[in-house]
Amino acid sequence: MGKFQRETLTVDGVKTVVYTAGSGEPLVFFHGAGTVDGHDFAEAWTDKFKVIVPYHPGFGESGDDPTFTDLHDYVMHYLELFDMMKLDRFNLVGLSLGGYLAAKFASEHSHRIRKLALIAPAGILDDQHPMADILAIPGEQIPGMLVSNFDVLKKRLPEKPDLDFIGDRYREATTTARLLWEHPIDPKFTRHLRRITVPTMILWGDEDKLIPVQQTETWRKFLPKADIQVFKGAGHLVHLEKPEAVAAIGKFLG
Amino acid sequence: MMSALRFNSMHFMPYAHLPANQKDHKSLWVDFSNKHYDPDKGHDLYQRYLKELVLADQLGFDAVVVNEHHNTVYSMMPAPNLIAAAIIPQTKNVRICVWGTPPNLMMPNRLAEEYAMLDVMSGGRLEVAFPLGTGMEYWANPANPATARDRFKESLKIILQAWHEDGPTKHFGQHYTYRFLNPWPRPMQKPNPPCYIVGTGSPETIEIAAQLGFGYASVFVTKARAKELNESLRERAAHYGFTIRPEQLPILNFVYVAETQERAEQEYIPHLQRFFEDYLRTSPQYLAPPGYLSVDQLKVRAAAADKMHGGFNFEMLNQAFFISVGTPEKVANDMGSWCDEMQTTHLNCVTHVADMPHWKAVKNLTLLAEEVFPRLRSRTGAGQRIAAE
Repeated sequence: MGKFQRETLTVDGVKTVVYTAGSGEPLVFFHGAGTVDGHDFAEAWTDKFKVIVPYHPGFGESGDDPTFTDLHDYVMHYLELFDMMKLDRFNLVGLSLGGYLAAKFASEHSHRIRKLALIAPAGILDDQHPMADILAIPGEQIPGMLVSNFDVLKKRLPEKPDLDFIGDRYREATTTARLLWEHPIDPKFTRHLRRITVPTMILWGDEDKLIPVQQTETWRKFLPKADIQVFKGAGHLVHLEKPEAVAAIGKFLG
Repeated sequence: MMSALRFNSMHFMPYAHLPANQKDHKSLWVDFSNKHYDPDKGHDLYQRYLKELVLADQLGFDAVVVNEHHNTVYSMMPAPNLIAAAIIPQTKNVRICVWGTPPNLMMPNRLAEEYAMLDVMSGGRLEVAFPLGTGMEYWANPANPATARDRFKESLKIILQAWHEDGPTKHFGQHYTYRFLNPWPRPMQKPNPPCYIVGTGSPETIEIAAQLGFGYASVFVTKARAKELNESLRERAAHYGFTIRPEQLPILNFVYVAETQERAEQEYIPHLQRFFEDYLRTSPQYLAPPGYLSVDQLKVRAAAADKMHGGFNFEMLNQAFFISVGTPEKVANDMGSWCDEMQTTHLNCVTHVADMPHWKAVKNLTLLAEEVFPRLRSRTGAGQRIAAE
């Protein structure tokens, strides 16, 4: 198990913090619209992979860039970062909003991806099983919606939300609002998914209260070859609740 | 020497028929269902409120003030320009203040056009204030709170360009594109009707007012904070080469006058209590949608909200805010001291609150106009105490 090293890079003027651990084929993890889940779960991958966990601009330890108003701004940011890090081809894993971003990145730059794993990805328009409107859910209700077993998240939250915690969440909601307030879904996103030609895995918790597990059917329609695995008794943060989900990703990528 | 005092009558036009279980609702804004709105009752209220605005003109108030809010019992004016248009032909002298429509909720050319219409229709009596809009408006309208301040600045630029420059002109911006900005009509008042920024005093909006030489109408801030904001606007405006005049700094105040102190309190305080407890009640989330505030401002406000415990406390509110309830002498004295303290000549009086009945509104307007203002109008300069003191 490797210990994560923290590195700060400046990517087109934006302070970008990247955590790296392990050795082997590179594996990049894109976090979701909140960063309370941390990245210690990713240590399980470090014995086989060089695991690279960047914070997106506007989230966690990275700096802000209010000009990022579109998911594509993040695609451009990562093209630049990966060039700086001399990452030519790599495995890409994305969670939730990070899954949406990973799929978008892969649909545009499939040749740079070895394999793709999406954990409860956002981005799908499904009138029957819509994603919860995360920007409209009161902050205090969000933690309860993220997991099925609250204990796995509880230890990562302050006992009583302090001003810094509230401020950090508000900042991440602000960054998300710049991207998604007016257009939570880009109807053109799924059109280009067929350009993802690399092996793809999709993981979901069957008790996901944020993005319903039924959306796997829509993903199957656009990515018919994807290996879809549903984990029983898990919520949105399936990677925190089910170590076997993390192991399944490692096995799939390995 | 200060110029003559000026008195406005401001009306929120609330929907005054709250359901019996309204206390069960955490917010009476944004998500409070419009199934509770009865158009017949609404009709009666509009008739009544329009009369109260027109009465202010007849009694000699200098201005009437209307503003815009959405999805709430607090206000039945999602479109204040309609109210302004309705009262223009019924009034002769009052300034018509639309304070105002958030530019982010309307196409800027359209707002420039509507304000120009009102100015021409009223023979140059219009005054406008530009709010960013409360956080609640951003939940009710298709505008992004996280980019609101940039959009707001761009809107103001377009509106002023439409008023100041002979059209057609062009604008290619981040949020709006105009190939032929050429609105007819143009305002009667040159270069534009008197303009203010209205808000709760975030440093960003003060700066915008300073850059443009606009007045600043602070609302729902304490007396101490209002004083700081006025000083800050004077200083920042000077930096851009503008001198802020006293009448550009209106004081939002809540006043009620009756024959005796006891009677005034008895007649008014229950309505003021309902105003603060119910009509203003909303959630922290609705007050601050994502990106509406900077993270620093959000923390400042979250810390302040944490300190506010207990319910309605009249004495505390009376101390902190511009509130005066009592005899004509008392109210005149309070208003006089506010003007001295704030170095302004402009009193923006909320003359009706919450479910106050028509007779109280009429009584209040009449006593203000006939018993209070004359005591103050005789003032010839700042710092002079009135005879009754």
